[in-house]
Amino acid sequence: MSRGGNGSQRAQEIEITPDLTIPKVFVQSVHKYGDKVAMREKEFGIWRPITWNDYLDRVKAIALGLEALGLAPGDKVALIGDNRPEGLWAEMATLCAGGVAVWLYQEALIDEVQYIVDHSDAKFIIGEGQEEVDKALAIIGKCPKVQHVVWDDPKGLRHYDDRILISVDQVMERGRAMDHQDPHRFDEMVKRGNGDDLALLFYTSGTTSAPKGALLTHWNMLKMGQNLMRVDPAFESDDFVSFLPFAWIGEQMMSISCGIQAGFTLNFPEEPETSLEDLREIAPQMMFSSARLYEQMVRGLQVRYADSTFLKRKLYEWGLNVGYALADAKFNKKPVGLALKMQGSLANALVHRALRDHIGMARMRSAYTGGSMIGPDHFRFFHAIGVNIKQIYGQTEIAGISVVHRSDDIKLDTVGKPIPETEVKIADDGEILSRSPAVFKGYYKNPEATAKTLKDGWLHSGDNGFIDPDGHLVFFDRTQDIMILSDARKFSPVFAESRLKFSPYIKDAWVIGHQKPYVAAVICIDYGVTGRWAESKGIAYTSYPELSQEPRVLELVQRSVEQVNGNLPETARIKRFVNLFKEFDADDAELTRTKKLRRGFLEQRYKEILDALYSAGDAVHIDTAITYEDGRTSRIKTDLKVVAVA
Amino acid sequence: MSVMRLPSGVYHETYVQDHAWWQTRFVWVRMLILFLLLFVGIPGLGNLYIVSVANIVGYTILSALGVQLLIGFAGQVTLGHAAFIAVGAYTSAIAMLQFNIPYPVSLILAALFAGVWSVLFGLPSARVKGFYLIMTTMAAQFITVDFVIAQYVSRIGGRGHYFSLPPGTISVGPWVIDSELSTYYLMLILVIGSILFMGNLLRTRIGRAWIAIRDNDIAAEVLGVNIVRYKLLAYFVAGVLAGLAGAFWITSLYFVSPEHFQWSWSLWLVGVILIGGVGSIYGVIYGAMFMTLVPEALKALLFLLTQSPELVALFPFIPQLLDKFLFVKEATFGLAIVLFLLYEPKGLAYRWWQIKNYIHLWPFSY
Repeated sequence: MSRGGNGSQRAQEIEITPDLTIPKVFVQSVHKYGDKVAMREKEFGIWRPITWNDYLDRVKAIALGLEALGLAPGDKVALIGDNRPEGLWAEMATLCAGGVAVWLYQEALIDEVQYIVDHSDAKFIIGEGQEEVDKALAIIGKCPKVQHVVWDDPKGLRHYDDRILISVDQVMERGRAMDHQDPHRFDEMVKRGNGDDLALLFYTSGTTSAPKGALLTHWNMLKMGQNLMRVDPAFESDDFVSFLPFAWIGEQMMSISCGIQAGFTLNFPEEPETSLEDLREIAPQMMFSSARLYEQMVRGLQVRYADSTFLKRKLYEWGLNVGYALADAKFNKKPVGLALKMQGSLANALVHRALRDHIGMARMRSAYTGGSMIGPDHFRFFHAIGVNIKQIYGQTEIAGISVVHRSDDIKLDTVGKPIPETEVKIADDGEILSRSPAVFKGYYKNPEATAKTLKDGWLHSGDNGFIDPDGHLVFFDRTQDIMILSDARKFSPVFAESRLKFSPYIKDAWVIGHQKPYVAAVICIDYGVTGRWAESKGIAYTSYPELSQEPRVLELVQRSVEQVNGNLPETARIKRFVNLFKEFDADDAELTRTKKLRRGFLEQRYKEILDALYSAGDAVHIDTAITYEDGRTSRIKTDLKVVAVA
Repeated sequence: MSVMRLPSGVYHETYVQDHAWWQTRFVWVRMLILFLLLFVGIPGLGNLYIVSVANIVGYTILSALGVQLLIGFAGQVTLGHAAFIAVGAYTSAIAMLQFNIPYPVSLILAALFAGVWSVLFGLPSARVKGFYLIMTTMAAQFITVDFVIAQYVSRIGGRGHYFSLPPGTISVGPWVIDSELSTYYLMLILVIGSILFMGNLLRTRIGRAWIAIRDNDIAAEVLGVNIVRYKLLAYFVAGVLAGLAGAFWITSLYFVSPEHFQWSWSLWLVGVILIGGVGSIYGVIYGAMFMTLVPEALKALLFLLTQSPELVALFPFIPQLLDKFLFVKEATFGLAIVLFLLYEPKGLAYRWWQIKNYIHLWPFSY
C-alpha cells in the first residue's frame, strides 16, 4: 500500500545556467534522490519500482553502448514505442551521448515513419518490439542513413536475424564493458554538453501540411519546465502517470523537463488500453492531457449516470447543480453565500468526492489540458466536481507552453496568463506572438518556414486571439479555422463542436459554415454509448453505419443538436446535419495524430456530403474507401440521411 | 466473488502488498475496532449469557469451516461432518482421561486423528460424485457416531455411556479452562487461528487446486492437478478443522456423549454455509452468527410475550412454544433455508459484498 503524502517538500529550484543540460540535471537529481523511486512500470498487476540509481545505471549503459555503436554528438535517434521505462532510458541516454531525440507516434503509418526517419537523418531507430522492428525493416531500404535498429521487447523476435537489429540488452552489455574499461567516460560525456545543444527534434503534427521538424535545445526544455513549476510547484512526493505519446511535447514537458527537476515519480501503465484504470489506481497530483481525454472521462461518467438508479441519479443531478453554481461563482470571482457554501460541502461529501475518485482525480492539484480548446461544458463540469482543470496554451515551437491559468484566476473562455519570462502580444492582424527562453531554434532543413515563424525572436503562432482586460489570453484556434457566417460575423466552429461533444452520444463533430448560407454539421456518434442506448431501447443494428442511420438515433442526435443550438447566436445555429458512417480517424488522415480535425482534407474527402448539406435533398449516397491500420482498404457503399433541425 | 474495488490512489509495488488482506487504513482501523470488541468489549460486558452465546457462535464457526472447505472450495458435498467433530471430541477426552495427556497435546492428537478418519471416508470421493457422495458422507456419520462411538468407544474405561469431564480437567499449562469466559478466550484463539490458517491455505497452490476442482474437475485434471490427492487433502484439512472444533467443544461440556454429534448437526452446518454464502470464509462467520443469534432472539421474543398475561390469554400456545423451543428452532431453520434459497441464494456474504459495492460505486451502478 502506498499513498503519496502531502507533507513533503517542494524541490529546491535549480539555477539554470547556459551550460546546463538535461543530462546534467538528471545526474544531479540521481545524486540527490539516490534510492527514491524514480519511475514505476505496471507489470502483471503490480507497479514495479525503479529507483533513480537504477535509472542512471540503465541510462549510463545505453548511452555508452550507443556511443560504442557509433553515435556521435549531434546525431539523430528516432524513438518509437509505448510509454515505458525503456523508452525514457533510451531518450535520456541519447541526450547524455549528445544525440538528438526524435520521437514518433507509435501508431504512425509506415509513410509517416519513413518521412520522419529520412528527413531527420536518424542514425538509430530505437523501437519497442516486433511491431516497431517490422516498421523499421520495411523502411530501411529507403532510409540509407539508418545504421542500427534497437529493440527491447523480445516477444515475437526470436527468428529475426537481420544484422541491423540489436537488442537493448546487447547495447547495455557493450556499454557496461565500456564503462568497465573507462569508468569516467560517462561523466565526461555528460560534462561536454552545453545548454545550447539540440535536445529534441520534434515533428509537429500539422493540421495543414507535411510535418515540420522543430529544433529544441536543452535550455529551451529546462527553462520551460522551470517556468511552469514557478506557476504550479511540483513536489518530490508527487506521482505522475505517463500515458500520452512521448512524441507529444506535453508529455516531454512533464516526464523530462519537470520530472528531473522536481524529482516526482513517473508511472507507466500496463498497456495503453488500461491507462485510464491505471491512472485511477495511482491518483496523480497533476496531469497534462489533450482535451479529448477529458471529454472521454466526462462521457464515461455521463453514461454511468444514465445507467444508474433513480435515487442516485437525483443526487448526482443535485450535486452537479450545486457544483455548477460554485464553479460559476469562481469563474466570475463572486462571493459565495453561506447557504451555497454549506450545500457545496454536502455535495462534495456525497457526490463530488465519489466522482473524483471514479476518474482518479482524488488527489489532483492541477489538471492541464492543451493541444486544443476544451469545450466550456466540459471545463465547467470538471470545476463543478472540484477538479482544478486549467487550460494551457503553447505549441511545440515554444517547448509546449507559454500561457496557463492560475489556480485562483480561472476564466471559462480564456487560456490564462503567460508563464514567467514569457511575453505574449497580439500582432496587428490578430495573430498571437510570443517570446520566451523556450522559443525553438527553427525548423530542421526548412529555412523558409523558420523565417515565416520566427521573426526577431518572436514566435508567430498562426493562431488568432486577443488579450482581455484582465490580461488573459483568449485564443480562437487556428486562424484558418475561423468561419465567417452569413451575417459576416466571425465564429469558431471548434466552439460549437466542443459543445456538441458534451452529449455522450456524440464522439466527434465537424461544423461547417464558412461563407455558406447557413451552418451545418457532420456528426460521428459514439458507437459504444449509442449502441448501448440502442440495445436498451430494443433497436437492432449490426454495424456502425447502420446504427448511425437508424431513425431513432438520428432523433437522439437531433435533440442534442437542438440543445446546443439553444446556446448559439441565431446565425451560428446548425440547420442541417448528417451522421457519418464512420468515426474520424487519424489513419485516414481525417485527424492529426493529436486528434485535431484536418478541415481542409475533410472538405475534399466528403465533398458529396457537403453538397448534400447545402442542397435540398434529404439523402446522400456514399461510395468510398476506408483504410485499416495495417494498410488494407475496403469500399463502403451507404446512404446517409440529411436531417434538418428546426 | 470478485475482487473488491479499492479507492483510487491505492497501488502496490509488490505482490505481498497486492495480496494483503487489509489494504487500506480504513480496513485496518475497522479490524482493530473489531478485535478490541472481541477481546475486551464482549467479556467486559460481564454478561455470561452473551459470552455463552458467543461460544456457540465460535463453535459453529469452527465446525462449519471444514464444511465450507469441502463444499464451498473443493466442491465435495458432505452431510456427515459431525462425525469428525465427534472423533475430535472423543480423541481429546480419551487422551486426557485415559492417558493423562495435557489438553494442548490432546488437541493436536484430536485434529490429526480426525483428519485421518476423514480421509478414510473421503476415499470414495475419488470415485463417486454428487448424490452418491452425499450418501457415503452420510454413511460416515452413522458408522462413526451411531456405531463405532456409541457401541465401542463409549465403553472405553467402563464409564457406561458418558465421558465425564469434571471442572478442572481441562487446562492449558497453568490456565484452567473451567468457565464460560476461559472457554470464550480459547474459542477466540482457535477461531482466529483457524480462519487465518484456512484463508492463507486458500491462496496457495493447494487452495487454487481445490477451487479448480470445484469449478471443473475434468478441466483441473487436464491442467495437471492431481485430483485424488487434492480431494483427499481437502478431506484431511476439513477433518483437522473438525477435530479442533470437537476438542474445543468439550471444554464447555461436563460430559461427552454421542448425542452431542447427531446427524442433525451435520445438516445444520450445511445450512450455516448455505445461509452465510457458499465459497466464502466470511460466509461461515455470517452464517454461524445468523443461525445462532436468530433463534436466540426468537427465544427472547417469546419470553417477552409470555410476560404479558393478556397476550397469553389471547394466544395460549405461546408458553408452550417456549417450552418446546427446540421445535420452533428447527422450524425456523427450515423456513430460513427455504427463504434463503429462494431470495438470497448466494448467501449473506454476497449481500454484504453488494452493499459494499453500492457504496464503492456510488453514485453509479458499475
